[in-house]
Amino acid sequence: MNADKEISDLVYKSCFMLDEMDFSGYLSLCAPDYRYRVVAYSPELRKDMVWQDVDKEAMQHHLELVPKHVREMVSVSRFPTVYLIEYEDGGRRAKVFSGMQLFKTKLDGGETRLYAVCRLNDVVDLSNGAPRLLSREVRMHTRQLGTGTQVPF
Amino acid sequence: MSRTSKQWADQPKLPPTHYVNSRIYTDDAIHREEIEKIFNRVWLIACHESELPNKFDYRTFLHPSGRSLLLIRGEDDSVRAFYNTCSHRGNRLVQVPAGNAKRITCIFHHWSYDPKGACIDIPRETQGYGDRICKANVGLREVRCERGLGGFIWVNIDDASESLTEFIGDALEDLQVELSQSLEVFHYHQAIIETNYKLWHDTNRELYHDYMHYHNRLTGLGQKGYFDRVYHPYPNGHVQLDSMEIQYQAYRGKQRTLTWPGSKAACHKLIDIFPGTTFILRAPSMRVDTMTPLGANRVMIEFRGLGLKNEPAGDRAERLMEHNNLWGPLGLNLHEDLLANELQTDAMRDGVEAAYVLHAREENNTTQDEIGMRQYYAEWGRRMGRSPHDPYGKATAAVAA
Repeated sequence: MNADKEISDLVYKSCFMLDEMDFSGYLSLCAPDYRYRVVAYSPELRKDMVWQDVDKEAMQHHLELVPKHVREMVSVSRFPTVYLIEYEDGGRRAKVFSGMQLFKTKLDGGETRLYAVCRLNDVVDLSNGAPRLLSREVRMHTRQLGTGTQVPF
Repeated sequence: MSRTSKQWADQPKLPPTHYVNSRIYTDDAIHREEIEKIFNRVWLIACHESELPNKFDYRTFLHPSGRSLLLIRGEDDSVRAFYNTCSHRGNRLVQVPAGNAKRITCIFHHWSYDPKGACIDIPRETQGYGDRICKANVGLREVRCERGLGGFIWVNIDDASESLTEFIGDALEDLQVELSQSLEVFHYHQAIIETNYKLWHDTNRELYHDYMHYHNRLTGLGQKGYFDRVYHPYPNGHVQLDSMEIQYQAYRGKQRTLTWPGSKAACHKLIDIFPGTTFILRAPSMRVDTMTPLGANRVMIEFRGLGLKNEPAGDRAERLMEHNNLWGPLGLNLHEDLLANELQTDAMRDGVEAAYVLHAREENNTTQDEIGMRQYYAEWGRRMGRSPHDPYGKATAAVAA
């Protein structure tokens, strides 16, 4: 099977899983030592901020808590586009650079609005069968998220 | 039992201090009056000193009046504030939130100013203006600016108002030790929410809404001593809640151990400054909220997360993690608070039958008493010259008649 397609499919699946709030499905795509970070450059502070930085265990705990918290009644649709795949370490891993747009659609009435744009900087482990996410860095372009969200990007 | 239209519109059979007419949250005219009578007369946090640490660093701030302010640290290390407006044709001088510049030059016609607000260059000054206009007379409009406790930079566009010390009084004394440390902002984000600024601040003035937060139900709300914490009102509408050590194990599986100097581990402290600033310590994290109303139903809230300057990387990482888990834009609690306020505004849309909002809980000024709001609206009413329960005077007039 084409490695580029497998890797791209992994990125797309990870986003579809989160759209569907299939958190166990999302975690199944992540390697055991997965690390997830959300960063944003702050022009106000003139430095990078870290908005989230969790390993797989902490991510799992966070996702277990999400359904227990009050949440906006919207569906979130993620539209990633894989721009670039770079293989390294003899093809045992790949860096994947994607752009993503997220839209919120209200359950009441169905209005859709652009919610955020960001970049996904992923590292994919190819050394052990099916590709798995080793790390994801979400680099936010959007810094104003209104009421925000508890679900990962 | 449900109510008829008349019953809904009837004033609650409560003291006038125990409810407000929801029109104070939705009326455009009242909003404009609030800007003039409140926000243009009080001290507001514009930034933190760590956001402009070096000489000639600058920072902009959107004042509720609609004016952009420019704060700049001079060569003498003092921070001064000005209208971010060129004296020539009113152009906005600085477009970005922060930077560094020894002189501020307007992009339009290149009039330039120094960090003390003096105009230092007008291209072809004498050729065009002769002796009608000279640099000495066209400096920037300076705004009162003071460094307060914790290194926050406060501004007041009313040259005649009381000093910052007089305005705050002793309201921050419960955080005196914590705010006396050398602090820096490690997190900043804005949320523009479709709600009235007072609804957001109301949420920070009562803990009755802890029922909404899964986190709070499992931690503080279930603890011994939770209902013993007392709200202490201060002059000028400020209020402070007794501190408490929170047990986080039920939510996180373990207790917080990293402290904030001056506080016990897992200490929770809350101080609200009128009209819309909140200091919250959930050791080891500290958060300060400030607000800029953008309209009757729109507010920009600025969230700052603070740590200690030069603290060890491990401490900073832990402080950051605890901050982000609850209070970050992707945190579990913050979304709930913001959502509740948007839903309030959604339900309060200025319509035919404005609701009354009840502030009637009385529990000896303790955690779930609504004294924080009653005290706030007493100050609001004093400054506005309106009764929050009857802002148009109609009920009062009807009674008189």
